[in-house]
Amino acid sequence: MKPEPKLVGIAQLVIARAPEQLCCLGLGSCIAVFLYDPITKLGGIVHILLPRAPANCEREEKYADTGVRKLVRDMLTRGAKRETLRAKLVGGAQMFPNLNVNVHDIGKENCDAAKRILRDLRIRISAEDTEGTRGRSATYDLDDGHVTIKMAFGPEKTI
Amino acid sequence: MENGSDESRVLEVIREFANVGAGNAATALASFLDMELVNEVTTCNMLPLARVAHWLGSEEQIVAGIYTQLCGDLRSGILVVFPSASAQTMLKHVTKQEVDLSNLDSIQLSALREIGNICLCWYLVAVSKMIDTDLVPAPPDATVDMLGSVLSLPLANLAIKVDTVIAVHTYFKGVEKDFEGYFLMLPEERMLKEIMDKMGENG
Repeated sequence: MKPEPKLVGIAQLVIARAPEQLCCLGLGSCIAVFLYDPITKLGGIVHILLPRAPANCEREEKYADTGVRKLVRDMLTRGAKRETLRAKLVGGAQMFPNLNVNVHDIGKENCDAAKRILRDLRIRISAEDTEGTRGRSATYDLDDGHVTIKMAFGPEKTI
Repeated sequence: MENGSDESRVLEVIREFANVGAGNAATALASFLDMELVNEVTTCNMLPLARVAHWLGSEEQIVAGIYTQLCGDLRSGILVVFPSASAQTMLKHVTKQEVDLSNLDSIQLSALREIGNICLCWYLVAVSKMIDTDLVPAPPDATVDMLGSVLSLPLANLAIKVDTVIAVHTYFKGVEKDFEGYFLMLPEERMLKEIMDKMGENG
């Protein structure tokens, strides 16, 4: 029996080790960046709401640029190795594509910003399930780094 | 909002404000659906971003959500949310067709948007009178998905500068039919201030 997954809410960052599991429920335009080190079986998630942090931001976990950097920093501090770290991205959907006031597609911007930071930090993205117009729930298994994704009315898949 | 009593004062005024909007919106919805509706008490709370979905229900609950954003000087997100069973009943009633929420056709999606539009506009007509300010909504958009996903964009639009939000919601339900939903308003700081300035002294 695996333990109940621990919920990682908006603007939260959680790092845990197998056999623990982590989950993000109802990701819409938010993006969950999952980092996993298969050697130490250490995994971490940051649940990002917005692409860019303003100056003097107090809550690094809320934004892609500051949140991904913090996640990587914290993972390395906890003993993960940069060379073996893998990233998986889930979310970044456009939930209301016909809303005219949305000049920006926040979901896509979150996704692009997270990828840019990961590239800058030389972390490999091993899989992603992003963009589109549907919400997602994701459960992260820290035993093997697999992410199981569920969509409303859709079948489950694992990346 | 420096101390607890100021905070409760703000919540009380916002609650009164939203209550009037919701009353008007429920009347319009009831007449559109030809169904008697009653509003429950309006509830208002100051919440961290991560807690909003849980406060309203659960992150994975399937709902029909219709959302718009005020696009004038004063900004607020505003939503109408129907749990899946009620959305199904309502769309069946309006379109006279069988409805599969997992796969709405363009007519059904348009009907959902229009129902939201009616509610949101009537809500805003009532509250804009109270603060004597025009509140201009963009045409809304609708989706059927998990509550957490539906809320993510409204929260993102609000949360660039804040980590806690004031959320005000009013449940409504059918008197004879099994039907329910709620209106949710997520006002920005300036909107809150305007409401407090115009209404704060009358409590």
